[in-house]
Amino acid sequence: MKEQRLNSSWVNSLLMLPALVLLAIVFAWPLLDSAWLSTQASSVLTGLTPLANGGANWQRLLGDARFWQDAAVTLRFAGVSVALELVLGLAMALLLHQPSRGRGWLRALTLLPWALPTTVLALGWRWIYNDPYGPLNAILRACGAAPFGFLTTPASTWLFTVLADVWKTTPFVALLLLAGLQSIPAELEESLVLEGASPGQILRRLTLPLLKPWISLALLFRLAQALGVFDLVQVLTRGGPAGSTESLALYAYLNAMRFLDFGYSATLVIATFLLLVLLTALGWLLLRRRALEPSR
Amino acid sequence: MIESMPTAPSPGTGLRIEGLSRRLGQRTLLAELNLQVGPGECLALLGPSGCGKTTTLRLLAGLDAASAGRILLDGRDITQQSAGERRVAMVFQSYALYPHLSVADNLALGLRIRGMPSKEREGRIAAVLELLQLTELRQRRPAQLSGGQRQRVALARALLRQPRLVLLDEPMSNLDGQLREELRPELRRLLCGGEQPVVYVTHDQQEAMGMADRIAVLRDGALQQVGSARELYERPANRFVAAFLGRPAINLLPASGPRQLGLRPEHLQPVRQGGIAARLQRREWWGNQQLLWLETAQGDLRMLVAADQSLPEQLQLGWRPEHELWFDSHSGERLAAL
Amino acid sequence: MAGSGARRRLTPGSVLAGLLLGLALILVPAALLARPVAAATTVRVLMPSPFVDATAALVAGFNRDHPKLKVEVARGPLDTEAMSDLAIGGLLLGDSGYDLLLMDVSWTAKYVAAGWLLPLEGLLGDDALEAMVPGARVGNAFGGHLWRMPLTGDTGLLYWRTDLMAAPPRSTQELEAVARRLQAEGKVRWGYVWQGRQYEGLSCVMLEMIHAFGGQWWQAGSGRAGGHTELDSPGAIAAADWLLHLVRTGVSPEAVADFAENEALQLFAAGDAAFLRNWPYAWREIEKGGGPVVGKVGVSTVVSAAGISSGGTLGTWGLSLLAGSPHPQAAAEVIRWFTGPETQKALVLDQGYAPTWAALYADPELQQKHPLLAVQRQALEQGPLVRPLTPLYAQLSDLLQRQVNGLITSEGSAAAAMGRAQTQSAVLLESAAGQEHP
Repeated sequence: MKEQRLNSSWVNSLLMLPALVLLAIVFAWPLLDSAWLSTQASSVLTGLTPLANGGANWQRLLGDARFWQDAAVTLRFAGVSVALELVLGLAMALLLHQPSRGRGWLRALTLLPWALPTTVLALGWRWIYNDPYGPLNAILRACGAAPFGFLTTPASTWLFTVLADVWKTTPFVALLLLAGLQSIPAELEESLVLEGASPGQILRRLTLPLLKPWISLALLFRLAQALGVFDLVQVLTRGGPAGSTESLALYAYLNAMRFLDFGYSATLVIATFLLLVLLTALGWLLLRRRALEPSR
Repeated sequence: MIESMPTAPSPGTGLRIEGLSRRLGQRTLLAELNLQVGPGECLALLGPSGCGKTTTLRLLAGLDAASAGRILLDGRDITQQSAGERRVAMVFQSYALYPHLSVADNLALGLRIRGMPSKEREGRIAAVLELLQLTELRQRRPAQLSGGQRQRVALARALLRQPRLVLLDEPMSNLDGQLREELRPELRRLLCGGEQPVVYVTHDQQEAMGMADRIAVLRDGALQQVGSARELYERPANRFVAAFLGRPAINLLPASGPRQLGLRPEHLQPVRQGGIAARLQRREWWGNQQLLWLETAQGDLRMLVAADQSLPEQLQLGWRPEHELWFDSHSGERLAAL
Repeated sequence: MAGSGARRRLTPGSVLAGLLLGLALILVPAALLARPVAAATTVRVLMPSPFVDATAALVAGFNRDHPKLKVEVARGPLDTEAMSDLAIGGLLLGDSGYDLLLMDVSWTAKYVAAGWLLPLEGLLGDDALEAMVPGARVGNAFGGHLWRMPLTGDTGLLYWRTDLMAAPPRSTQELEAVARRLQAEGKVRWGYVWQGRQYEGLSCVMLEMIHAFGGQWWQAGSGRAGGHTELDSPGAIAAADWLLHLVRTGVSPEAVADFAENEALQLFAAGDAAFLRNWPYAWREIEKGGGPVVGKVGVSTVVSAAGISSGGTLGTWGLSLLAGSPHPQAAAEVIRWFTGPETQKALVLDQGYAPTWAALYADPELQQKHPLLAVQRQALEQGPLVRPLTPLYAQLSDLLQRQVNGLITSEGSAAAAMGRAQTQSAVLLESAAGQEHP
């Protein structure tokens, strides 16, 4: 029996090999290349020739206020939007899980924002937020209020960028959690109903603990995505106003594609990657420890 | 919630079901069910899948709402009560153990929800764990238990609730055959003979006959017959009950006019003369008995005889008149003996 | 350079491999994938999509007339920056697959420094630009070579309402006074709309304003970066201060902080503003749009502070020869035809593009059919403003945008914002001076 298991795990590893090789080619190689490039000066000033500059890029990064500001912006954006997405996604999943007429249509409909390309959605949001002609301002006008500059000040732009992201990705979280909900047998809930449990008690005592692996999955997925947010801010705000919504990915992109400073861009990419690895590892460890604790 | 759960169950008058129906759109899942289950009595709901037995159970539990009719438990109408208020225990086919909780926590959760003080709770849990010999497994998760152990935990959880009514939904169907037979007496010992009525859903006639005091046979949402196993077997109300109970199934001879004759395989016997001419087609040897497949002018018949009885290829079949079961060939109702 | 460059260009490409691949998959048109096998030399041109549509008939005509030389136009994206991304994506991978690229004037120095362009003076002659209006001649040469032949003569222009005033304002003070009066009278909700979003358009506005108040952004000089910035000069601070003042006093809506060309155009075309700063294309957009101001729009050169003469920012598009081109001679011939007077004349007539040849501005037929021509000629002869000609322009522009956009969306003074922009520019240029060239 034991031997058989060993054998099958060995076969499993073997079967995974092609996928691992592909992953290595697709992810590891560019990453290693970027890591190397981050130790080089490679920009318009060197005619794009990589020249070793002895960690000058990293030194510059440490003293680059814009990097730290963008890191803070990115972290805050990821933290707040992922938290909101989890709460709303859970609510949405619970709602969609209720048996009701036309549930299939409703589910398909809620998935729509997630299925559409981010750039298209971001353009849509730009129009919705438009001051003074967007639909939101049309509503405000109809109510007799003055038009509001949704994307005009740093504070409101940040908030409405988060909301646009939440709107787009909540369905993804909801879908994942809905799959989780559907994996919970109905009898478990019914058994608790027979014990006289209220919906709140069922959620706390049964649904949430059983959803934990799904919530962790959604959290890690979304955290990784949100920390790399690029297309939404690029289209919606271009990092403005005054750089207040510039993400690390956007800064790296600007350095590469606008400034043609590939050495520094690679440094930013690696720094972002390290940050991402650190945070997801941290999140994973925390969630794992919690999951192992006996629930009380 | 604590008030609604007295420490000792009050003497009851059992369960009374009056005209209970459930309809979903155009479909009738249960039609006008009338039943009575006395205190401590175990009633099996028997029938093929889709016959309405699980529907009945869910209505009794309060998990689904009745379209019509009343449910009286110990003289009180509980039809409009929510599931939580009914103090009904249910053992699900899947056992419905909470996978994230240990055995002890599985038992404790319901009591916690009802707000029972922890001291009392721990005492009761310890007692029921002891009763079901689960004490050693108290820290295990359900995934670490065998099928039989899981069933015991589910039973323990049901007992812990001190229910006024116990419902079991195919509690044995996930266990293998031998274990099932072993568990039947234990299940009866633990559940039946107390104050609370027990309703036991199964599609297995043998299990129903072995477990229940009485059996209610359902078909397409309609009650066919209620009675002891013996009553149902010997005096089936109709062709369906006759065919559903008894293995191998009853031989139904081709209808002759308004009537149709049914003969159970064990009631056929070889005779010297008279009877029906038959030719032996096939033989299943079961160790203690043998089942013979016979070709006759009345169609194919099954006959059950002792294992050591040897029979020729060609034979004459006979039976005793009192074993004849006559049915109305149109309605299927059993007709009084001629 | 091209030979040894192939390997090293792969390296930065890999940094953004995923990004570029995605872009390429979306943007590379089907036309490119289905290249016909032809005996004739094929010159491939990458252009933003509006230019592709505008020149489609002309290109078809050229291909009919030249059996030995085919022009194949690839459709790039509409947005200038997306266009730049696509082009750079291709160039980084070594072989872009194109011979010619239609380039924005602000890219020139950067592309030259990256080694992506071939000089044109040897192919087109030293006097290639001689017959163009003075304003169109600038911004094409860098470091003593010609890198680009301009196809359009776009400059920043001032749009005004002929139904609300007899003549356009001639100074910033006059513009503000007229705007305020019209707002007070309830004729328009806003006075003046421009591009205040954090993007290249704001740099174009700032360049005009800095010069309008007597300053300059860039002083050309020696050194690696090719000059220095003067963003903390009184003129530059006054420019930022005036824009801030417009927003704070309600002459411009606070929403300009998120306005690109189209948002500003939309508001003006809806009749909600007295003045608009935009490019020549806006004229046709307004006329086509059929809104409330059709027939009530005048176009003029941009205004400057009283007593100062200044111009609009140069925003021309031109064709450049890419370093990987296998047949530069044929490509140069296509450039000559594409940017030549005949093609440009057709584009003026069909599309209303601003031409670059002096002779076309003098053409009575064009003058009659295209009312904007006189203003454009004036704008081009008045000395249009070229954005700093340095490979580091993108960084300079980026940091200025952030400061000015921050100024109009947050607290703070113009002097402080421009001071920071100047400091940051200086640090950037200094770091460039420290770098060694291979």
